[in-house]
Amino acid sequence: MPVERTSSNTSLIDVLDRVLDKGIVIDAWVRVSLVGIDLITVEARIVVASIETYLKYSEAVAQSTPALRSNAVETRSQEALAAENRSLRSKLAAAADGTGVPVVRRRRRSVGV
Amino acid sequence: MKGRTKRQAGPKPARGRSAPGKTGDLAASRAKRSSRRPRAEAKGGADNLGKYVYCVVSATEPLRFGAIGIGAKPAEVQTVNYKGIAAIVSDTPLEVYDPTRENVLAHERVNETVMRTHTVIPMSFGAVFKTREDIIELLRGAYNAFHDVLSKMEDKLEFGLKVLWDRDVMIREIEREDEDIRRLKNEIASQKGSTYFARVQYGRMADAALQNLADRYVADIFAQLRDVCVASRANKPIGDKMIMNAAFLVARNQEAAFDARVKKIGAQYHKLTFKYTGPWPPYNFVNIRLKLERAKDAQ
Repeated sequence: MPVERTSSNTSLIDVLDRVLDKGIVIDAWVRVSLVGIDLITVEARIVVASIETYLKYSEAVAQSTPALRSNAVETRSQEALAAENRSLRSKLAAAADGTGVPVVRRRRRSVGV
Repeated sequence: MKGRTKRQAGPKPARGRSAPGKTGDLAASRAKRSSRRPRAEAKGGADNLGKYVYCVVSATEPLRFGAIGIGAKPAEVQTVNYKGIAAIVSDTPLEVYDPTRENVLAHERVNETVMRTHTVIPMSFGAVFKTREDIIELLRGAYNAFHDVLSKMEDKLEFGLKVLWDRDVMIREIEREDEDIRRLKNEIASQKGSTYFARVQYGRMADAALQNLADRYVADIFAQLRDVCVASRANKPIGDKMIMNAAFLVARNQEAAFDARVKKIGAQYHKLTFKYTGPWPPYNFVNIRLKLERAKDAQ
């Protein structure tokens, strides 16, 4: 069977696999608070509090045992992802009922925004 | 996926309004009204529009990409520029987007369109900012990271390659080639008493042989693609038919060579199924995690 290349928007699974947690990722609870919780009251500006960048760019291509390597790396990151997912879910749930979200300490109208 | 993002209930913001003295009555009444029904408000008033961010590119001039944005009424996609880099955005009601089929594909559609002419750093799905100034602050705050990544990703595209096989077909293949396994299978077939242990042993040997074969195929496929890509990433295969789930970063001027190589490999391994996709924005090769906060003191 000849291999055909399909453009990137044809498979929803392939799209989801990429867009949900790859690329530039912003903390989920912040995502909610940016648009949700303080919809009108907060006009304070956002600041970038921390940046964590790592590029997979230089990862060597197909070292001697790619399958082994991927298993070792990916199993761990899978668990880490699951843990992160759980904690994000609980944060989201907390955000939804208004508790536990580190919202804004000070609410002031901004000047010059 | 459902429930990953929850819509915010309206009444919450009202709690924050405990010191009404400072802000005017107008603002207070506006607050009340929109906290009661923020949705309707968002549709009506232009002042409640936020901006959905798709990706970051290098650009010195404002750009426009047409009305292809996310949302029920596709909004104009344009840039918010800051010092030679720009966020690709479109106006949107201030709401949390669920990753539905339409929304996710809209996000990807914009990225793909921009990617035709620019090197992009894709944003993960669902980032909505309240104001243009917030986005400029994002670009300013993470400027070095964006700048660095953009220069490293310049003129490179991502391609996806998944390889699947049919276990049963491969087991038959293995039985043909592996004498031990074949002998064991024949023993089981001809044995009269209990075949339990023989079957257990056969299962173990077959599994190991399959794993071995998969590793060999995958290593060979990676090796064959090595000189036509810049980098590769092996993701965990999904399901038991998949033996390889990889992403490749390919220079634009090597796209044709990579393409030809994948097809050649496909012809070589006619018993395997190849799912070859792209070009994608380099999602698998860029990972920038940002933590944002409100400025502590806006004044």
